[in-house]
Amino acid sequence: MEERQPETPFGDMEAFHGAFAELYPRLVSYARRYGATFAEDIAQEAFVILMQREERVEHPTAFLYGTVRTLSLTERRPMKNQNLSLEAVTEPGLAGGADDQVLNQEVRERMRMLSPTFREALWLFVVEGLSIREIADILGIPEATVKTRIHRAKAQLKDQLNPSGGVHVLV
Amino acid sequence: MSWSDPARRFEPAEDVQLRAELRELLGLQPPPQRSPAPVTQELASLAEDLRKEALRRRRTERRRPSWGLIAAAALPLLAVLAGLGTWGVQQKQRADGLAAHAQRQEAELNRLAAANAAELARERKAKEEAQQQLQLVAQALPKKSLPYLVIPVEKPLRIQGEDYQRVKEKPGQ
Repeated sequence: MEERQPETPFGDMEAFHGAFAELYPRLVSYARRYGATFAEDIAQEAFVILMQREERVEHPTAFLYGTVRTLSLTERRPMKNQNLSLEAVTEPGLAGGADDQVLNQEVRERMRMLSPTFREALWLFVVEGLSIREIADILGIPEATVKTRIHRAKAQLKDQLNPSGGVHVLV
Repeated sequence: MSWSDPARRFEPAEDVQLRAELRELLGLQPPPQRSPAPVTQELASLAEDLRKEALRRRRTERRRPSWGLIAAAALPLLAVLAGLGTWGVQQKQRADGLAAHAQRQEAELNRLAAANAAELARERKAKEEAQQQLQLVAQALPKKSLPYLVIPVEKPLRIQGEDYQRVKEKPGQ
């Protein structure tokens, strides 16, 4: 009798291993950006929590990011700055540093000028490459709010590039 | 294609366009066409450990109480509520009975009072009629002098000088 392959939120075991290899380093980096001391533990805990759930999770990637964010923010909450850090996050042996190679100093400065709320949405949208729906799940806000934040971040970026003034229309 | 590539999740074209504009504004380079991350033996082993841990937790986690358990837990409370309800119904019935009894007594008293009042009125009327009859009869009778008391008056009594007998000698005689 053939043994039944265990199902995971990402599909079969091969798909799960592929998703894990792709997402784990990114989640560790994401946890570090929130100042988590035990970023690896938080990322692993997020995977365990995801697979522990008996109900099907519609957006497992968003669930993982959201769980990592919550766990990171609740770790030593009173002592922490709860804004997303833009500093380089290096983790030897993990692929999560790829984004840091892309983000040069000028990009960091531009993102640093944004308000933390807009920066967080922009980071998830542009750098992490998540969809509006997923970002809404992660931050626990409506999709329309995510779009508004991203568009306002865009307006602020345009202001940075055109400091002499001008009228921007939110599209 | 990367796991987190939005194209994998059928992202709307306008969002893709927006992302490209933002990357341009930020001065980011176009996203490299990354090959899927290699699944190393270490990562696969870690993923498998996490999956087993999740399964272990799922088996050992404290189940949410089922409806049966909730009903069993609520049974004493329900029994108390039922007892209180029964007692309340009994008290209500008893109060209703007492109220009806009091109402009947009040009606009976009212009836007796009305009967007494009617009897009293009847007697008063009869008395008035009798007095009227007496007055009529008295007026019809012939008038005569009313009898009066006559006390004969005799001579006033006077004490005579020797009209007594000495019963004891005077001292010194």
